[in-house]
Amino acid sequence: MTARAAPTSSGQARRRSPLAAESRWAWLFLAPTLIGLAILSAGPIIAAFAISLTKWDLLTAPKFVGLDNFAALLADHRFQTAIRNTVFYTVTSVPIGLVIGLGLALALNQRLRGIAWIRTAYFLPVVTSTVAISLVWSWIYSPDSGPLNAVLGFIGLPPQKWITDPFWAMPSIVAMSVWQGLGTTVIIFLAGLQAIPQEYLDAASVDGAGAWARFRNVTLPLLTPSIFFTGILALIDSFQVFDQIYVLARPGRPSDATVTLVYTIYENGFQNFKMGYAAAAAWILFLIVAVLTIVYFRLQNRWVHYQ
Amino acid sequence: MSRTSLARDRPVPVRPAVDVRARRRTAAHRLRTAAIYAALLAGGVVMIAPFLWMIVTSLKTRAEVFGTSPLELPSGAHFDNYQRMWEALPFGLFYLNSLKLAFLATAGQLISCSMAAFAFAVLDFRGKRILFALLLSTLIIPFQIVLVPNFVLYRLLPHPLSASGNWIGTQEPLWVWAFLGGAFGTFLLRQFYLTIPHELADAARVDGATPWQIYRHIYVPLAKPALATLAIFTFMWNWNDLLDPLIYLRDLPTYTVTVGLAFFKGQFIGKWPEMMAGALVSLAPMIILFVVAQRQFVRGITLTGIKG
Repeated sequence: MTARAAPTSSGQARRRSPLAAESRWAWLFLAPTLIGLAILSAGPIIAAFAISLTKWDLLTAPKFVGLDNFAALLADHRFQTAIRNTVFYTVTSVPIGLVIGLGLALALNQRLRGIAWIRTAYFLPVVTSTVAISLVWSWIYSPDSGPLNAVLGFIGLPPQKWITDPFWAMPSIVAMSVWQGLGTTVIIFLAGLQAIPQEYLDAASVDGAGAWARFRNVTLPLLTPSIFFTGILALIDSFQVFDQIYVLARPGRPSDATVTLVYTIYENGFQNFKMGYAAAAAWILFLIVAVLTIVYFRLQNRWVHYQ
Repeated sequence: MSRTSLARDRPVPVRPAVDVRARRRTAAHRLRTAAIYAALLAGGVVMIAPFLWMIVTSLKTRAEVFGTSPLELPSGAHFDNYQRMWEALPFGLFYLNSLKLAFLATAGQLISCSMAAFAFAVLDFRGKRILFALLLSTLIIPFQIVLVPNFVLYRLLPHPLSASGNWIGTQEPLWVWAFLGGAFGTFLLRQFYLTIPHELADAARVDGATPWQIYRHIYVPLAKPALATLAIFTFMWNWNDLLDPLIYLRDLPTYTVTVGLAFFKGQFIGKWPEMMAGALVSLAPMIILFVVAQRQFVRGITLTGIKG
């Protein structure tokens, strides 16, 4: 910058002044962002920790209780179940979504007539709201009159209660979420597949590699950056599952079958107004996601190949 | 493998062997294509089926929903479901609320993010790197952590028209934030601005243009594709958002479509035709937007990996 400005200015003072002016402009352009960072994102992360150390119902003054909220949460059965359910949701929905998404992307990465239409069908659920989708799936899963039990009856399988059955409730949520998320995964994988140079595949064919060998030794290694990228996004996202829980399977008080981490934050903070408790739960969510992200990144050089 | 073995296979003349192989390959190729088609179509049906069920069920009578198989077609197009859904709750109002909030949030993000991105991409100032890193770090932090502090903040802000006297129960917490920047939009636009040759800005500077003029007359017009991508995603996220409206909205007339639909489900248990009609109506703007701007959607997801 200074080098570029140098020819037009001669003295030291004159060279500094346009830069100072530019700096003033920069802060002007950044003013909204700085306010937002301070009061809506970075600042509140610290505030959330401060609140998590208090007992606060918003009506009376907050009372400092140290780490009591964290201790209480870890002993809270509903919160333990929420962690278990969220982990179940993550370890099922993320790998299943990645594997099906990869298969689909490979199939959709063909020059076939009408493929654009088929692709659109896969992308459609991505843009539609989880609320609307949950409504349809609550109808699909409906035990007495829903299409899923009708289809099962058609094949001769017994009907299930799905969402209201403690065993099937979470798997039903996972199935719907995988269905909804496939489009995103497929789009990223398709972009990754299209970036693989055709020469590599041709060279492998010339060397006598069959379709499976080409996939295993050329396509898959070159696709690992896309898999890594999709994996981390899906992982972070899956820990924040809420909308489908709220609409499709609002966890009642006796039933904990579908309660998740973010649902407990919502429930404690904005239904029971236990602000300190909710903030502590949010911090635990943050710590879990942070640790997983770090571990995930640390492990990347074991299996991710960059070209 | 077959090439070398064929070469060693003396008695067989090379030419016909190649032809046979080619023919066998096209037959296998056709079979493979057919298999891929079949698999993709079957998968496509699974992807589309919920939408079809939504349409079919929204046109059935209640008696048909409970009396006949869910796989049967309705006896006729019973559009009165749509009318009943529309009258059961003020859906017209919910629609206007969602549109208003999504437009305001989109406008706010376009303005504030494009300005911040310009500073990060084009201007020079002290602390640029640290500030950019700080902004980006907010991207990977689960946003639920700010739910409680933000609620506390909005509860402190006075509001003349609100029953509570503060911002809780008003729509303001759902759009004002958008005018205060955002990591995702700033990052997306900064990356795009960096691809614009800086000679353009330098030439304008030599001619005495201020940074504002460079931003307004060079960067904003050239960044239209990136701005369109950001606009589409911001609109979609806000149209589809549930958690924030659920926390801040208290009275029916302020509800958005998503909160209204969730409320509807709780109120009218088993009214599947009306519920499907409501879901379908709520999807319409996103489907239209997707059909019109599919390319921007796909590009946006590929660039950033963001989810719908």
